[in-house]
Amino acid sequence: MIVKQEDWSRPGDQRLGVLFDGGKVRRRREWRGVKDTLYDYGRWVYIMSILARFIVKPRNIKAMFRYRWMANYLAVPHMVDKFTMGLRDEPLRIVHTAMDFVVYDVAQTMENIFRGDRRTGNDKKFSDKCVLTDENAMTAFMMGFPTLKAILREVPTMFVANLLNQYSTTHYLDVAQAAGIPGDVCPMPEAEAGISIDDDFAVLGACAVQVNTTCDGSLMGNGIIAKRLEREYGIPTFQLVAPMRHREEDVQDYAAQDIRNAIAFIEEHTGEKWDWTAYFECAKRVNDITRNRLAWLEMNSTNYPQFVGAPFSLYNDTNYMGNCGRSPKFPPIDRKIMKYAQHGYEAKRMMAPEYRHRAIIWGVQPQYVIDMLNWMIHCWGIVPLTDMLSMVNTRQIAEEDTPENREQAYYDMAWLNENMIMRNRTHGGYEVLVDELWQFCEQMNADMVIMWEHMSCKALTGMHGQFEEQARERGIHLVWVCHDLCDPRVYTRQAIRDQLNTYMRTVMREEPLDPSIEVLPDEKAW
Amino acid sequence: MPKYIKIPLLILGIPAAVFAVTFAIYFLNLDMKLLSKIEPFFLRHYDKMPRESYV
Repeated sequence: MIVKQEDWSRPGDQRLGVLFDGGKVRRRREWRGVKDTLYDYGRWVYIMSILARFIVKPRNIKAMFRYRWMANYLAVPHMVDKFTMGLRDEPLRIVHTAMDFVVYDVAQTMENIFRGDRRTGNDKKFSDKCVLTDENAMTAFMMGFPTLKAILREVPTMFVANLLNQYSTTHYLDVAQAAGIPGDVCPMPEAEAGISIDDDFAVLGACAVQVNTTCDGSLMGNGIIAKRLEREYGIPTFQLVAPMRHREEDVQDYAAQDIRNAIAFIEEHTGEKWDWTAYFECAKRVNDITRNRLAWLEMNSTNYPQFVGAPFSLYNDTNYMGNCGRSPKFPPIDRKIMKYAQHGYEAKRMMAPEYRHRAIIWGVQPQYVIDMLNWMIHCWGIVPLTDMLSMVNTRQIAEEDTPENREQAYYDMAWLNENMIMRNRTHGGYEVLVDELWQFCEQMNADMVIMWEHMSCKALTGMHGQFEEQARERGIHLVWVCHDLCDPRVYTRQAIRDQLNTYMRTVMREEPLDPSIEVLPDEKAW
Repeated sequence: MPKYIKIPLLILGIPAAVFAVTFAIYFLNLDMKLLSKIEPFFLRHYDKMPRESYV
């Protein structure tokens, strides 16, 4: 269903292609009219202040010269510009509120990493209160340890770095492949393995917890990382193993027991005791996060979606998985986003003059061009209503401290761990990956599915035929977009966008809303 | 210049000048243009660093 506003106008730049000149960065920043340009300028000042406060510390300067991946952080303002391209009014404010807080949160993580890192800050007392936590882990098992820091060191090292700079992983992929790891492994765990082989991870923590939540590639990477952690750095590492068929009742006892084991492991190596009061405080926030996410999704199922695209996904990743209710700083940000979203919805605010298609984004995203979701809105009028990584837990977990709920809590933590972003869809059978997609299409009135086909991800490739067949039966436009997750040498950004361009021109017979951005010279860009 | 003119001018002028300079940096993307020039120096530095690489 096409939604069109005849009186729609966008103050400032009309053709967004003027911002690109083929260089590493953009020609200039976007003119958004006086009000929104000044707002964007204010947020730029705020981001620069975060960066300035970070880099004035000697240990962080030392880290800048020690760790290769730190050079990617020169591009932080550039990353924010990618996510805000073409936006005005409430959508601009929503993206800034979410993404600026993600920037702040990552800066805090890096502060903690370098404070405890043996090579830079070397604060041993602090390091002994840190637990290295797998990037792909729900941090639920840390909810009852308020005096400990969960350090997700792969997040700034690899995950965020690739949002900042499309070439951030290539050196580490070469290192891993030079060591004999095949090139067709998922480049995310392969790059993480390369970082470990290259001795480029910060070293800290009393112990570490790794998970099996993503895939076999991740298990391969974890094995290499754990070997170095345990044998070279003497950091004991626990393997938290979530069941594959996570919707089955008969696996839940096992999953809960593994959470108990992880907690006991952390208690043993840190000397801290599990705190139920802290846990249930966090549980309340987890429920609040769930309610807010569902409210945003409900809004996105109307004609006037507000909080969409990569910022929706990345903010949810950070809040749901990395935070998991542990920080009291997230709820005020949630409320602020909600306020903007409600204003935008009431004002029937649109990000483009027309919404031609309502799309659900499924599969694993190309990390180095995840801002393509914003591009889709401006170039083709396709609204990304939600994505696979944001369709996670919808249950309310026990939040009152009672003897029964203390037992239930282990099952809730296990449930959250099993429903880590992505793996809750890529594991657990075809129902969670295929059948539920069509339910979401119906609930959100979607007529299109953008199907990321991560060429190194075996979990999704096996379902290709079922997606094709069932989308055809339902009359849903299924657009396959192939990529290699975080290696732009295999599929360039434009090669990825061209798959959608070709579909829109040849199958849909449509012309772009903004032809100036149909082809972008960003192959050399950060 | 009398003080009663100079002080208000300074009070208004300094923030205005700071705004003008920072806004020019912001709008012309000079911050990113500068930092993108610095990146190759860092990469060369990392390439020269000895590493204890092993699987």
